[in-house]
Amino acid sequence: MNAPFSPYLSGIAPGLKQLISLLRKEYDYVSVLSTDSAGFQASISQRSKSVSRETLTTERGTVVRVYRGSLYSEAAFTGFDPEKVQETCRWISRELDSQLRILEASGIQPYETAKLPDGERTIFAEMETGRLPETEDLSGLVARLSGISDSGMKSGTEMGIRMIDCQARASSTHICKMFLTENQDLRQSYVYSEGSLSALVTGGERTEMSYSSLSGRCGPELFDEMADKLPEVLRIAKDLLAAERVVPGEYDVITSPEVTGLIAHEAFGHGVEMDMFVKGRALGADYIGKRVGSDLVTMHEGALCATDVTSYAFDDEGIPAGDVIEISNGILRTGICDALSALRLGVEPTGNGKRQSFSHKAYTRMTNTVFDSGDSTLAEMIAGIRKGYLLEGMQSGMEDPKHWGIQCILDRGYEIIDGKLTGKIVSPLVMTGYVPDLLGSVSMVSRDREVFGSGYCGKGHKEWVKVADGGPYLKAKARLG
Amino acid sequence: MADNQALNKLLQVLKASGADAWEVTDIQEKGREFYLIRHKLDQNRARNLENFLVRVYRKFDGFLGSASAPVPADAEEEEMKRIVAGLCQDASYVRNPFYTLNQPEPDAGKAGEGAGSVDLASISGDFLRALSSLPETPAEDLNSCEVFVTEVRKRFLNSEGIDVTTVYPSSMVEAVVNARKGSHEIELYRMYRCGTCDSVQLTRDLTETMRYGRDRLRTEPTPMLGKADLILTTDAACEVYSYFIDRLSCSLVYRGLSDWKTGASVAPAEMCLRTAVFLPNSSRNGAYDPEGARIRDLALIEGGKAVSYWGSRQFSQYLNLQDSFQASNFVVSGGSASPEELREGNWLEVVEFSDFDVDSVTGDIAGEIRLGYLHQEGRTIPVTGGSVSGNMSELIPEMRFSADSRQYDTLLIPSVTRLNGATVTGAV
Repeated sequence: MNAPFSPYLSGIAPGLKQLISLLRKEYDYVSVLSTDSAGFQASISQRSKSVSRETLTTERGTVVRVYRGSLYSEAAFTGFDPEKVQETCRWISRELDSQLRILEASGIQPYETAKLPDGERTIFAEMETGRLPETEDLSGLVARLSGISDSGMKSGTEMGIRMIDCQARASSTHICKMFLTENQDLRQSYVYSEGSLSALVTGGERTEMSYSSLSGRCGPELFDEMADKLPEVLRIAKDLLAAERVVPGEYDVITSPEVTGLIAHEAFGHGVEMDMFVKGRALGADYIGKRVGSDLVTMHEGALCATDVTSYAFDDEGIPAGDVIEISNGILRTGICDALSALRLGVEPTGNGKRQSFSHKAYTRMTNTVFDSGDSTLAEMIAGIRKGYLLEGMQSGMEDPKHWGIQCILDRGYEIIDGKLTGKIVSPLVMTGYVPDLLGSVSMVSRDREVFGSGYCGKGHKEWVKVADGGPYLKAKARLG
Repeated sequence: MADNQALNKLLQVLKASGADAWEVTDIQEKGREFYLIRHKLDQNRARNLENFLVRVYRKFDGFLGSASAPVPADAEEEEMKRIVAGLCQDASYVRNPFYTLNQPEPDAGKAGEGAGSVDLASISGDFLRALSSLPETPAEDLNSCEVFVTEVRKRFLNSEGIDVTTVYPSSMVEAVVNARKGSHEIELYRMYRCGTCDSVQLTRDLTETMRYGRDRLRTEPTPMLGKADLILTTDAACEVYSYFIDRLSCSLVYRGLSDWKTGASVAPAEMCLRTAVFLPNSSRNGAYDPEGARIRDLALIEGGKAVSYWGSRQFSQYLNLQDSFQASNFVVSGGSASPEELREGNWLEVVEFSDFDVDSVTGDIAGEIRLGYLHQEGRTIPVTGGSVSGNMSELIPEMRFSADSRQYDTLLIPSVTRLNGATVTGAV
């Protein structure tokens, strides 16, 4: 089935078009983004159960962008009433004008920016989904998640693990967004879902938590096969309890697709967000056309380059989704760009203008950030290492686009000696280094590729949006601590 | 914006729904935002938002079912009925051990009593003026900043008769500072949360950040130190003290994520930790928690021993606490050393991490060093790169902290914290 577009948004569209007409009398450009996204999340463990019809991306509201005198301003609000369009128009003008008076009193001048183009464009996308979150049988889902939690406790105990708890989480959101200008009418509807299993275990004085996730641009049918993840979660829990601390140093490593995705995200995801170019905050601006990785490194970014949680038809500024090749055979080709930054830099926007919600500002943000596959096998890569680690599981990462430092906190490393896994495990791991050194050291790339969409990404320490990233196994050199 | 009519309509729907109990929070936010690039206005924004958050309860023998949902403030009555009916159904199969909701206090006052308003224009102007008058030089300046000023108004009602309103200012400033020498330019990132604009504090912090920027330009790669004594004097220390706060939350204790028990030694012998109703200029100074419980000053750790848990109604009752609450502000005290006494011998003082993290469950600490000062044999060397790691269970026995304090929004913590025996991986 196709995810149906929101009747609420269809209902207020004529009123919003009227609002645009009214505001155009005062402003040179006006656009409106309205959202109406419903969903649910369920969390079931042995010790607590919860269900909410709210996720990080459920919302209903409107943001109006206006342009006058080289300045862009926005007003976000809930509760648009088509019967009170004049009142809404007056509130927007009054509020923004009062802000300008404060700015004038402070002597602050606008950052000169040209007017956005407003060529005719129409998109109506209702993307395929198996089921819808708003009509999902949550009693059945809760029963299924409870069964998984019970099975996890039983199986873990049978494996000799001291289980504290086993938690199953499921979340699904039906995104509906409408972007309108005088000449554009874009409407999209899609569903994404994500789930996770975690095991809380103890061994003596140590408490560890293992984790595995699944995601997709699909409905709650994603959770039908969730129990299949259980053996992996319990295996990881057992590994973590047996893990030792790594001896700090530089090692040959193989990054699993999940860790590869984290590197993609932190290294040349944030590093080529071109709103950072406008501010002079990214070293990448000086490296376009230059080598930043080995010949084996090719990386894509865009809503179209994979099908996962953030694979939309158009972004939050009404720019159609794209697929950008950021790095081609080790050479940095280009970055990704929101609409206003593109105007300022004189480039084309890439469909990466995203907001945490309708009430937040749009920034250049990642969608799917993915390394291309190569022609090696994992077995060949392991055989090529004399002393090193196979790195699995990610906890968090942090970018440093200005200096190309990278910090990845990883779950565990499996020791490799003389081309063989020894069974020894180290955890946790802090992988740090200089991005071009790390990518320059990539010497083998596997044939397979996986994309993971269970994470969120912040800009600095705020503005959380859904992203997906991944790639193949990479063999490289990295500093571990 | 919705008015009382919308809230009254929702309350009528809830009362007629067959729910055994319910809670409603009417959340209103009015905000102004200013985005500056090199002191020029990138964009200005206004926000005027209102939503209801509804939780519905169903009682069963020994169990309480619950489910929650946001309800748009402009929802028609039919939509409200549909959402609430769905919640009643959801609550019937999400059953947890029974607990009771908060009850009204006799002296709670009427709804909205004492709730004032926030002068967004005045606070905005203060921030913009403070950021325009920083002591910048050709070598150190403000790259960009974002200013968020919000009036938060929350009215909480429940089926037991609680009806309380809190109004408070909540502000946030994100600032990026550059420092340069020739063609070499670096940046440092700061995020401040607070109630209103404290111009003196903001200017002092950003001036300090510019000094760090100067020092970062002359760093050497962090050497491989193995074990080293780590000193924290910036907001990274909040992560360390949040570890203690988190591990005493009822939620973590009940769910087995923390094994800390009251009466047990969990912290350095001199440490005291308490909740605080009010901290000057905190962004979360409210008299009531999200479930309508009155927030109090409460000791959590005294003399290094855990003396109380804190947390939500549900998990606190599971731990046999009857009058707990979800605290917003916390104070750590008890240190007796001066900053100078803590800075003895050899140590690594890290003032900038990429992202310093302390895992509240495992106790693992980790962070990449962006700027540190290595003090060895009387010499001070600015260093960058490499990482710090370790585990709190190994670091707490040797942890020391200063008598004087520094506030980071909702946390008032020692200004200097020393963790002996952290692992430092070098950059070379």
